[in-house]
Amino acid sequence: MSEVKAAVASIKTRPEFEVFKAKISGSNGLLTAVKKTIGKLPQAEKPAAGKLINRAKQQVEEVFAEILARIEKSELAAKLGEPIDPTLPSPDDFAGMRHPLSQIREEMCGIFHRLGFTVAEGPELETEWFCFDALNTPANHPARDMQDTLFFPADTIAADAPKHADEAYLLRSHTSSVQIRAMLATKPPLRVVAPGRCFRRDTVDATHSANFHQIEGLWVDENVTLRDLKSVLDFFVREVFGHAAETRLRPSFFPFTEPSFEMDIRVPNLGALSNRWLEIMGCGLVDPKVFENVGIDPEKWSGLAFGIGIERIAMLVHGIDDIRHFYANDLRFLRQFA
Amino acid sequence: MKISLQWLNKYVDLSDISAEKIADALPMIGLEVEEISTAGLIPLKNIVIGKILSFVPHANSDHLSVCRVDVGDGNMRQIVCGAKNFKANDIVPVALPGAIMPGGFEIKEAKMRGEVSQGMMCSGRELGLNDDHAGLLILTERNLPLGTPINDHFPKADTVFDISITANRGDCLSHIGVARDLAAFFGKQLKNPVAGVPRNAPDGNAKNEFLEVAIESPVCSLYNAWTVRGVKIAPSPEWMQRDLFAVGLRPINNVVDITNWVMMELGSPLHAFDAGTIGGNTIRIRQAKAGEKLKLLDGKECELSPDICVIADNEKPMVVAGVMGGENSGVSDATQNVVIEAAWFDPGSIRKTSRHIGVSTDSSTRYTRDVDPTLVAVAGARAAQLVCELAGGKIEGRQISVGKLPRADRAIEISGDFVRARCGYDVADAAIIDVFKRLGFSVEEKGGSAWSVFVPAFRPDVDRPIDLVEEFVRIYGTTTIPSAAIAAPVAPADDAPTAKFARKAASLLVGQGFAECVNYTLRSFAEIKKCHGEKMATALSLANPLTSDQSHVRPSLLPGLLDSLKLNLANHAEPRRLFEIGHVFRPDRTGAIREIIAVAFVILAAPTTRTWKPREKADFFFAKKLCLDIAAQAGIAEQRMVFAAANCAETPIWQEGRAAKATDRARALEIETGLIDAKHALECGIKETIVAGEILLTQDAFKTTAKRARFKAFSAFPPVSRDIALVVDENVPAGEIADRLRATANKATAKRFVVEKINCFDVYRGKGLPEGKKSLAFEIVFRSETKTLTDEEVGNVFSKILTDIERAANCTVRR
Repeated sequence: MSEVKAAVASIKTRPEFEVFKAKISGSNGLLTAVKKTIGKLPQAEKPAAGKLINRAKQQVEEVFAEILARIEKSELAAKLGEPIDPTLPSPDDFAGMRHPLSQIREEMCGIFHRLGFTVAEGPELETEWFCFDALNTPANHPARDMQDTLFFPADTIAADAPKHADEAYLLRSHTSSVQIRAMLATKPPLRVVAPGRCFRRDTVDATHSANFHQIEGLWVDENVTLRDLKSVLDFFVREVFGHAAETRLRPSFFPFTEPSFEMDIRVPNLGALSNRWLEIMGCGLVDPKVFENVGIDPEKWSGLAFGIGIERIAMLVHGIDDIRHFYANDLRFLRQFA
Repeated sequence: MKISLQWLNKYVDLSDISAEKIADALPMIGLEVEEISTAGLIPLKNIVIGKILSFVPHANSDHLSVCRVDVGDGNMRQIVCGAKNFKANDIVPVALPGAIMPGGFEIKEAKMRGEVSQGMMCSGRELGLNDDHAGLLILTERNLPLGTPINDHFPKADTVFDISITANRGDCLSHIGVARDLAAFFGKQLKNPVAGVPRNAPDGNAKNEFLEVAIESPVCSLYNAWTVRGVKIAPSPEWMQRDLFAVGLRPINNVVDITNWVMMELGSPLHAFDAGTIGGNTIRIRQAKAGEKLKLLDGKECELSPDICVIADNEKPMVVAGVMGGENSGVSDATQNVVIEAAWFDPGSIRKTSRHIGVSTDSSTRYTRDVDPTLVAVAGARAAQLVCELAGGKIEGRQISVGKLPRADRAIEISGDFVRARCGYDVADAAIIDVFKRLGFSVEEKGGSAWSVFVPAFRPDVDRPIDLVEEFVRIYGTTTIPSAAIAAPVAPADDAPTAKFARKAASLLVGQGFAECVNYTLRSFAEIKKCHGEKMATALSLANPLTSDQSHVRPSLLPGLLDSLKLNLANHAEPRRLFEIGHVFRPDRTGAIREIIAVAFVILAAPTTRTWKPREKADFFFAKKLCLDIAAQAGIAEQRMVFAAANCAETPIWQEGRAAKATDRARALEIETGLIDAKHALECGIKETIVAGEILLTQDAFKTTAKRARFKAFSAFPPVSRDIALVVDENVPAGEIADRLRATANKATAKRFVVEKINCFDVYRGKGLPEGKKSLAFEIVFRSETKTLTDEEVGNVFSKILTDIERAANCTVRR
């Protein structure tokens, strides 16, 4: 037994163990040899010897199990590698994130979704008719002075913006064009919001950008009223700016709504812009002429529409003072909104 | 449009309403106040008239003087002063200690470089009177009593509102128009300024023998002219100069000032001719002739063309109609007889002309917003009368009026119920009628709550019942609109599939550690040519770009993402993975531009951040998998995509031999992925290897509705696999061999059981293989739906594959 025990410490691997095991309990092993001697013993000694051998066998098996457990443990340790230091940084420690404009857009769409508005989309490369004429803004209308529009060459064909007649192609100056496409595609009643990119022929500075984003809203049904307009937009403002936000509808002018308003908000906790009336969107009731242009009977249907600048809302919500931050994509900016 | 509060008070008594309250009211009736300023002298305490008795240079300064000043209280005061424009005995405003200047600064007795200064003598700007800061405001000529408050000698301060007028409200480009709205809002009486014919006009049918007028252009509908003879050109009276200053106009002389003043009062532009310059005493309103030129009053020479309407005499054009007069016929100091023009021109034509010649004036701004034609006669008479009164002339002959009113008052049928239905809240008929009347509309009740509302010509924008609703809401106020519960529809439509896809693609990428970027759509020709070739760039140009670096629409999101990568590397912001989702534009095979939904990403193959545990570098196959995962979000399965090497001559942004392009059969979706051309990256300032991908989807990809998956029973028996290695030419794609192998295996099994999988698991080059060859090892997995396959069955099929494949594909089996 002492011979067995002495050898134990040096056995480290499974093959070593197998060799060792054969040496003891294999067919030519020590213990086997001892067992074989029992038969030659006188009958009287046999029980005692048997007992002795059984005890040895038991002890040997215990030693075997001990070795095996040790080997398994070291094998597992090798498989698992070094114990970890949980305080070390993960080498994959880089977070993905959505752009703040996308976050705000999704938030806004989500708010309107709760009021039954679903997302519609339209082309950025639009036609003049959808962008202006259908929206009651004919060629010599003063409102076209307000829009400095980027046009495509005369021979352009745009496969994804079917024309009304033979009008020119342009980069849409507002998402209001999606109102027209939505009303032509779906019979009322309908409620849609159309988020998207718009373009102006504008010099870039802290508040102007060659492209920017809007969310257009349109609700057409029987008996949509001014009161609905106020209720929908008040709900939106409170969801975004909190319940302390006040709103007001300031009469204004857009060719495609009548009456038309700008909505202003006043919020107590907007940093330097706190407690001041701030313009956040244009809105109004859909002008009957727009309904006529898309073949909807203005006697039967009425509607409300609004257009909100996504950059404007993001800048107010996050206290961002320069629109160019959105387009620089500096990760030190983006990570602040992760 | 600058509107003077004092001037407004001539037409509506606002004396009991504070300027702040008016400033708050204006935006709420649709007149947005951009700026409030003060014209003239605000009430100032302790600023009095003083006299500089004498002065000496300051001992310790080369620009200050020490003055002895008398402010009439018997005490001589010493005041240190930096101005240079005075002499002894000059009368000037003096701010005494305790005075608070318009900017809030308090005057105190102080020492200036060792000399006591007991007050301050003031400039026009320091008093807030004007912009003059060249020196002290010298009042010597006015002989004012010493010690009297400065406010005694200047008109009361005026509040000036700078109002932004919306395109529909041309009527508010005048004081009378704004006064009318304020009178309606505050429930006050409007005092109309003018009544009919000038007092001193000749009677009856007296002919105007001094002038003939002929309208020969469709642009002009109505033309009125008055002749006033024997005028004396001089400065206009102080009150008129004050009014003009207040609204930002520079006084010129009495006649010109009168035309401007009446325009600011009524909104109808006027023009004054020197009657002596009108050749043949005839005014012709006609289209210009090609080649005609006119030197305008601002000194610019203007080339005329037949689409421009001019006011001419028998010989020459004198005025670009509705825009600006010419030097050749304007009023000068020597003018004795004047002709006053009032007219109505077509708004669209004037807008075109104004744009064409690049000149925008107070006159053209008003004509383009459709001047009230009934004002033409009124404004002309008003100006003629004022010329007689202020320039001392006499009206000769009768007013000439040619043409007719292009539009007039109109009646709109409306009911109280219609107003209530649009508003969505209850309001009494009487309240609605009251608003209309306050706005100067008359209402004829037709029984029930049906009315005929007569809208005068000054409101061309009010034409339909819905316009009257707007007028009601504007004046009645929006603050009283009650809130309501919003009834949401039971079955709303679904979001657009493109929007849903963008959301899914974004969350997939965000989950993989990508940061979303947003870049500009407009790019330069040079950039597009460099990244996607000249043909692409040529197809995507704008007709009227603002700048050459924003002249084209983007065909790809990648150049923008490379910009973002570069910026973040330069800023040490440790960029690793960036993506963008947006619209891009590409010509299709017919040359038509397609608007494409694009998802693009860039990865720095090896991060710039140092790490204690290096990771495997991102490579082509990582990007390929990501592209396929994104395509799957649009419902397009991997099996539908066919990959091939990218054509880097066509799209140089990709690295030759390290990039691929894939399309589905319908060409609704394309994938471009691989390494960004290393040279291009270097030129962008990026040394690191960039792995990138772009998934491009046309609208067609979203047109098919996803089919519901149908359950198919799967085999209960185990698979059997066999490996085969095929030696092929180096340039043969593995995918091609895999396809052949699949076909061969399918043929070999002869439908007795199925080939479940063909998987290329090893690519080997080198020892044991000839030069230019590689070995592709495939695992072929067989399975039966009905039984456990035996070695023999599989073996038979496999040996058939071994013999057939060499004929099916250009390869040899490696044994």
